[in-house]
Amino acid sequence: MSKPKIFLCRCEDVTVDEFTAAFREGFTELESLKRYTGVGTGFCQGKGCLCEATGELARLRELEPGDIRLTTIRPPSEPLTFSQLATLQVPDPAADPEETP
Amino acid sequence: MAGDKATIRFEGRDLICRTGTSIATALWEAGIRHLSHSPKYGRPRGVTCARGQCTACLMRVDGVPNVRVCETPLRDGMVVERQDAGAFYGAPMQKMLAVGGDLVPVGFYYKWFTKPAILSRVFLSAIRPLTGVGRLPERAEAEAEPATDLGRIPTVVVGAGPAGLSAALTSDGPVVLVDENDAPGGLRLAALDEAAAAGCLDGFAGLTSARAGLNHLAEGVAAADVDLRTGVRVVAGYHPGGLVLRHGAELATLACDRLVWAAGALDAPGLFPGNDVPGVLGTRALLRLLVRDGLDVTGRTILLVGGGQDLWLAAALLETRGAHPSILLESDDNGTDLATAVARRWPLHTGLVLDRAHTAADGSGLRAEFVPGPGPGGGGRLTLDADLVVVCRRAKPIYDIPYQLGVDLHLAPEQGGFVPRGCTGSGWSTTVPNGPEVTFVGEAAGETPETVLAGAGEAS
Repeated sequence: MSKPKIFLCRCEDVTVDEFTAAFREGFTELESLKRYTGVGTGFCQGKGCLCEATGELARLRELEPGDIRLTTIRPPSEPLTFSQLATLQVPDPAADPEETP
Repeated sequence: MAGDKATIRFEGRDLICRTGTSIATALWEAGIRHLSHSPKYGRPRGVTCARGQCTACLMRVDGVPNVRVCETPLRDGMVVERQDAGAFYGAPMQKMLAVGGDLVPVGFYYKWFTKPAILSRVFLSAIRPLTGVGRLPERAEAEAEPATDLGRIPTVVVGAGPAGLSAALTSDGPVVLVDENDAPGGLRLAALDEAAAAGCLDGFAGLTSARAGLNHLAEGVAAADVDLRTGVRVVAGYHPGGLVLRHGAELATLACDRLVWAAGALDAPGLFPGNDVPGVLGTRALLRLLVRDGLDVTGRTILLVGGGQDLWLAAALLETRGAHPSILLESDDNGTDLATAVARRWPLHTGLVLDRAHTAADGSGLRAEFVPGPGPGGGGRLTLDADLVVVCRRAKPIYDIPYQLGVDLHLAPEQGGFVPRGCTGSGWSTTVPNGPEVTFVGEAAGETPETVLAGAGEAS
């Protein structure tokens, strides 16, 4: 039997050990850890794991939790179908050069 | 609860279920808890959030993949199947994945077979189908109804729980109050009313007072000039100050000058071995299944782990429904509620914390193991069996829409999770550049349920 797994991110099946291993490989920002491990990129868009991953990273980096830079979360916050998206009339970002979050 | 029966087809067999519930609840009542497999390790997953916000209950329904069955009402004649990540390769590959997941290191797809380029292409094209979820739909999507534009609204309050109801009542000018549940007061009010009617709330002074306060607030909102829209969830916030709302499959857009964010909090069961096992849930998920779906828990043993008012509320509602609540308090309690629980003869343990959970060897239920907590008075290890393990720990403030609108967030563990930088608590406001003023209230502002419910209690 392998060591019991503690899931940090259930959508992408990332365990706490895998997240820690990625950190030891040199991925020390949440953004790069997200790209490398998949944490926060799943169906839930981080609702299940982003707080937990941020807390783990603060522990690994020995920083205050509030000092960890977060990743960007883009709309929509839950999956919509293409047919639903096609019904929206939202402003064209290209027409509004204002920086979006 | 509707008494009507429906028949659904689940992987080659017919299941007779009651209507008026979600597919996930119907399957649970039919003994099916394993709804999906996880993508890398092929682990069984079951209903987790009961709110359509996680991956655990994605199934193929009537040929449509990735249906969130925890939120999809059951209809007669539905065909429901489990779908697999990597379905492209079929079941044998699934079995291999369940074993092989351990053999591949994190980030392997960035490291293996990267050279020569041709090998890399072959490798990536072979593993890509494994990362997909489900097969394509059997038919094209129907065209959706056009989105409605609700125009510009001075104040939008999101969330009709205690904090949102208070905010809607004290706001000046026209207010639109949206809530994803069917009635104002949140899941808690329905649970409180039901438990109180059965006498199961007797002795819980905090909950009794919260119930009176919530009813007072809900009645106040019904009498006031508040445009209440239930069954509506905000699914996107976009620059500058627009919101996308979803009611069923239909979308609507609006712009607001002021957003009161009272969306509450998300369950955060925490990091422990077995935190992904089907049947391990948070408090909100349990309340949703009981209140919204009428989950049949008669005679079931439901283990409640953690503490706080929501734990006692869950226990009271479970007793109302004929289930056996079993309680493990991880944190200190005010003593009064604990005395009430003792008087009810609910099995109670203290001084321990949850160590791990797993499915019992015979597959019949769950087993949770506990170890002595940090405080004094802890005993040795303890193992408890249950049909569900509900973790009632501090929930995480919901942050997604304000973050999409541009509010700067940071992790504040003492406030439960992500809150705006500088947020001092309920009523804290910030103005998004070129966007609305956003006011955070209640649990979304990092308050505890106890504070929010006590605030509601004072309202009556």
